[in-house]
Amino acid sequence: MNIKLLPIITILILSSISLTLNAAPLFEINIQNHLFYPDELVIPADTKVKLVINNKDDSAEEFESYELNREKVIPGHSSGVIFIGPLPAGSYPFFGEFFPKTAQGKIIVK
Amino acid sequence: MLINAVIIVLREVLEASLIMSLFLAYSQHVTVSRLWLLLGIVLGGLFAWAYAAHISTFSNWFDGVGQEVINAGLQLAIYFILLGFITQALIGVSKPIQRITLISLMVLGIVLASIREGTEIVLFITGFSAAPDLLQAVLIGSSIGAGIGMSVGVCIYYLLVTMTFKNSVRLGYVLTLLIAAAMISQVVQQLIQADWIISQYPLWDTSNWINERSLVGQLLYALIGYEATPTPIQVSAYFSAIAMIVFVSFYQLSRHTK
Repeated sequence: MNIKLLPIITILILSSISLTLNAAPLFEINIQNHLFYPDELVIPADTKVKLVINNKDDSAEEFESYELNREKVIPGHSSGVIFIGPLPAGSYPFFGEFFPKTAQGKIIVK
Repeated sequence: MLINAVIIVLREVLEASLIMSLFLAYSQHVTVSRLWLLLGIVLGGLFAWAYAAHISTFSNWFDGVGQEVINAGLQLAIYFILLGFITQALIGVSKPIQRITLISLMVLGIVLASIREGTEIVLFITGFSAAPDLLQAVLIGSSIGAGIGMSVGVCIYYLLVTMTFKNSVRLGYVLTLLIAAAMISQVVQQLIQADWIISQYPLWDTSNWINERSLVGQLLYALIGYEATPTPIQVSAYFSAIAMIVFVSFYQLSRHTK
């Protein structure tokens, strides 16, 4: 066991981080009265997209999807950015964790 | 609404509660005062409140991914605190300077964990201030969730303190290692979401065996950073994080037993 391996491990971790600067197509979802508009969003397969979520309610909402591995709090009257994909074709449900009874939707990848 | 509040708060409290139980149990074994815990929770709570109050501003940092970057930063810091804690715990705290180092690490760890987990609870509950008819159910649910989360921590604490010191350090070591690695997995997850780390297809999919939504899935998420569909970078970062702690532990032990 050698401490000299530490920098190598650190470099390995850091080298996996890369700033990907190519512009991703933009999609928007609005939250209003604890509902998503649209509640079905179609995005292209195998493409990274930038999802902007505009929360028009007073209360915060948490965009969450186990299938997409995404979760983010969107404060009331503000917007949040989430990058998703590239994804294989399929249906990926998402929901608002704070108001899951009404805030339901899915992303269709084709 | 009530059940939902229970789950949301439980998820957040569980992680901080696990870290606290490890710190408290070790403090108990080496008779370090446990007042630091209170300091950490109060400070962390205040910071979480302040952060939540200005969350929109922070969210806009780094082209709209400020939240992810701050979360990743907090979790990376918690990882290094756990690394420092576990190596200090292995060597022991016989000298005053070692005790001070340990207490500082624990306070900082609790502050950061409370900010990370507390912010979401604050945002969730304050969102209902405009809906008084729902607020009561949310508060009751949140209290139940917090209670369950803390109970899990209390169980682990008692499990650790009733063991012999040697066994307690062993089990504590393994638990700390897993929680620390879970932090790194979450750091990678946050940075993928922010597009700072490239997104990849998952290495495997175990959602049919243990769903992340299930109780077991949630518990495993807090304890070992369970993810049903991790990407290759996430998996390699997870194991590198474990390897780094093991290397540092062996190095410190060999240095101090010479």
